[in-house]
Amino acid sequence: MFFSEIHERIRFVFLVSLFILIAIIIKVFYIQVFSYQKLNTLAENLWSRQLPIKANRGLIVDRNGKVLASNVTTVSLVVVPGQIHEPEKVAKDLANILNSNYQDMLEHVTKSTSIERIHPEGRQLSYEIAEKINALNYDGVYLLKESKRFYPYETMLSHVLGYVGIDNQGLSGLELYYDDYLTGADGAIKYFSDGKGNKLELTEVYEAPTSGITLKLTIDMDLQMVIENELDNAMAKYEPEQGLIMAMNPQTGEILAMASRPTFNSNSYQNYSNEIINRNLPIWMTYEPGSTFKIITLSAALEEKTINLFEDSFYDDGSINVDGATIHCWKAGGHGAETMLQVVENSCNPGFVHIGSTLGAEKLMSYIHKYGFGSKTGIDLNGESSGILFDVNKMGPVELATTSFGQGISVTPLQQIRAVSAAINGGNLYTPYIVDSFLESETNSLIEKVEPKITGHPISPETSSLVRYALESVVANGSGKNAYIENYRVGGKTGTAQKVHNGSYLSGNYILSFIGFMPANNPEIIVYVAIDNPKGVTQYGGVVSAPIAKNVLTSAIEILNIPPSKEGMAREYTWLDTKYYILPNVIGMSKKEATQALKGFKIEYSGTGTKVIYQSPEAGYYAKEGETIKLLLG
Amino acid sequence: MKKKRMDYILFFLTLIICIFGIIMIYSASSIWAEFKFNNPLKYVKQQTLFFLIGIIVILITTKLDLSILKKKANLILAICFALLILVLIPGIGSIRNGSRSWFGIGGLGIQPSEFAKIGLIIFTAKYLANNQKNMKDVKKGALPIFLVIAIFFLLIMLEPDFGTAMVITLTLVCLIFVSGLKISFFVKLGLLGILGIVGLIIAAPYRMERIISFLNPWSDPLGSGYQIIQSLYAIGPGGLLGQGFMNSRQKHFYLPEPQTDFIFSIISEEFGFLGVIVVCTFFAFIFYRMLKIALKCNDLFYKYLAFGLAFGILIQASLNLAVVVGLIPVTGVTLPFFSYGGSSLLVSMLSIGIVLNISKK
Repeated sequence: MFFSEIHERIRFVFLVSLFILIAIIIKVFYIQVFSYQKLNTLAENLWSRQLPIKANRGLIVDRNGKVLASNVTTVSLVVVPGQIHEPEKVAKDLANILNSNYQDMLEHVTKSTSIERIHPEGRQLSYEIAEKINALNYDGVYLLKESKRFYPYETMLSHVLGYVGIDNQGLSGLELYYDDYLTGADGAIKYFSDGKGNKLELTEVYEAPTSGITLKLTIDMDLQMVIENELDNAMAKYEPEQGLIMAMNPQTGEILAMASRPTFNSNSYQNYSNEIINRNLPIWMTYEPGSTFKIITLSAALEEKTINLFEDSFYDDGSINVDGATIHCWKAGGHGAETMLQVVENSCNPGFVHIGSTLGAEKLMSYIHKYGFGSKTGIDLNGESSGILFDVNKMGPVELATTSFGQGISVTPLQQIRAVSAAINGGNLYTPYIVDSFLESETNSLIEKVEPKITGHPISPETSSLVRYALESVVANGSGKNAYIENYRVGGKTGTAQKVHNGSYLSGNYILSFIGFMPANNPEIIVYVAIDNPKGVTQYGGVVSAPIAKNVLTSAIEILNIPPSKEGMAREYTWLDTKYYILPNVIGMSKKEATQALKGFKIEYSGTGTKVIYQSPEAGYYAKEGETIKLLLG
Repeated sequence: MKKKRMDYILFFLTLIICIFGIIMIYSASSIWAEFKFNNPLKYVKQQTLFFLIGIIVILITTKLDLSILKKKANLILAICFALLILVLIPGIGSIRNGSRSWFGIGGLGIQPSEFAKIGLIIFTAKYLANNQKNMKDVKKGALPIFLVIAIFFLLIMLEPDFGTAMVITLTLVCLIFVSGLKISFFVKLGLLGILGIVGLIIAAPYRMERIISFLNPWSDPLGSGYQIIQSLYAIGPGGLLGQGFMNSRQKHFYLPEPQTDFIFSIISEEFGFLGVIVVCTFFAFIFYRMLKIALKCNDLFYKYLAFGLAFGILIQASLNLAVVVGLIPVTGVTLPFFSYGGSSLLVSMLSIGIVLNISKK
């Protein structure tokens, strides 16, 4: 039958058709399985729109958790032009509320972009304005959460903290140095839009922003407030050009407090001049350190054993001739015959010229370098200076002489406090640092702790203990006695440096400084004070800066919980000073005996017995003449 | 001759596939319909109306005496010819999607090329049945009918409606193939076609770029590649089980007119690979039922007629699917039973009706 050929061909066509359909199915399978990832990503990009939600910046807290930099929530205006139905009306209303230009606003709301941020007039809006915009209830007009940096302590610690720009980007200080840590990951409201830009109801995904990392500082805000207060007082009292105070833990390099004047408010940094906001004086300023630098010369000579602190002596007749140049002592007529310890106590310049000469330029300079002068300390802040030293190959006797007592070179306050810390802490040169640890923002759990870093050992522990002794003696008996605190062991050194302008010294224009630490036997805090050109006061560091350092150290006793000590050096008194006496032990004495023993003090009795069973203050402590001593009888 | 029962399986398969089509038109078109006419049900209502008319058409067709088709085949072809001429005259024929292919009657439209498809199949079936002896001879048997096909092809290309012209030509060539014309003729025809394409490319090398751009639609994402990219964005994310009914994203103004040529994209987006297999199986099964009827039929005219109508539906579906998944360049062919369009649905259902009638013989 001839149908069979036809039927054969029909079957053939059927098979070919099936083959075509299978080819189509295979192609679909290929698209949906092998190209799935690629197509899905491309399609998601096509469909999805993102309204960004700014992440909170990481907090900055002090060592006790006090918040120094936080965030306040504001909102900012964002429009999605594709969703706006009546651009003219929307632009008019928004311009009215924001009090801005209608044409600019119209440009924003009609811009051919998926999402448009109204910048800057629509940023960081107040609650009232946000409410008004919300009340309009326009499609395509969004108010997005934004956070704004807030510094509760305003002008305090502002140079260290720095400030941020309108997009919360760190611009200076820690905000800049640790910007990557502090910056969080922005979140978004993700929604799908149709081909005309309208929002599709079916899907909206909220991706929460992640806050930045919390920075915990080594700063103690209580101590910081003390130095800020002292600086304010000094500014009011002496009207200096500039002033700075720094406190550090000499055994670790942790900066405990750091402030300078003039200062600024980090919340409104725009209102200050660039000089003020950009110059963090304790790390930026360089000047001749003056006598505080003698500590370096002293420690080098002691380490090299070129002098004996107690047995060697020097005769100061008021000046010394070095290679034809005459260098005068600050005291007219000189100090006469002195032991080396007295040279230090008196801060005698000719004496230090002598000490320097025993070392020679090469040795002295090698110690200066070992102490970290001439290079940046590596503190975790931007804007540090290196200072300027003499080139050892070009140093003559005069350069050696002036370097010995801290002139002719320039250093930063931070280099100075760091070097002196090494001189008194047993000889360890630490890298100063401000960030103690990095904390997770939600839980405050520790991510990483910064460990103290030793970068060198300029002197031995034995030499260091001699330096401590000499500097305690300076405060007890010498030029630093205005920093003496009864019952506590304070060491320190004054500094009076002439300022250089255009290569010559300015007359009557000094930077008066003091560097002090306590307890002198095992220092927990070191404080550096520098006041630039104070008015109406004797131009000595001992007069201006030592009392400030004393106030800071006195406050630090309570803040750092430093125990009193009976083993300190007794103070040498002048007739001007109020006298202090060591209290005798009167416990167990009768009332009469006790009265006898405590002659010169007021006595306040309590209790009804015949014998003293308790006395306050206890025996061994210093008490001021005429101070009240409380005795309990029983 | 003993009277057989109508093929109810084919009948119900047709009803099911049409209802599935209407549901998909609802999902695919509601967004566009709401945007254009403020009435999300606009398209689905019209399609439902045509579906109901289509059922009546099937029921009437199955009752008709089909011999009238054989007797009046020449007249039918002449009417189709006249309509195809008329539609080209501006003022009578109206333009849709760039081709003058419609008679607008109120809100509805009639596409003469769709009806010409059936007319030509009837005519060719009759021609082949009458000239079965001559078909071994290329000159005597094949040339005249190829001439007729060529005339209609050119007429439809004047609209221009390349898709329908291709469907008709492929259907008729296949019908002639089945009638027993020597294979060597089709091999020569194929070679001629390839030579023609090569010649066209040599004459104008930009055509090569067209082919390349079809292979990589991203080379012109906003122009020639736009539709296919949007289609792939629908199919790809559909995955194995799809986004779920009504959850297509591409229908939201990304894929233009998703209820027409690219409705298969929306099906694969909402029902995934599973939906694709179901649709392809449906077409294969319907085709299979129709071929079975053709094979069982003892009358040569009806055999050719059933095969031609069956293959007409299958080749149209295959071309549409191949376009949508990116196997061949965009040609503009609707998916039978699924794509929105009254003429297309009515002609498909009419084809089923005729084959159902044949099934009773």
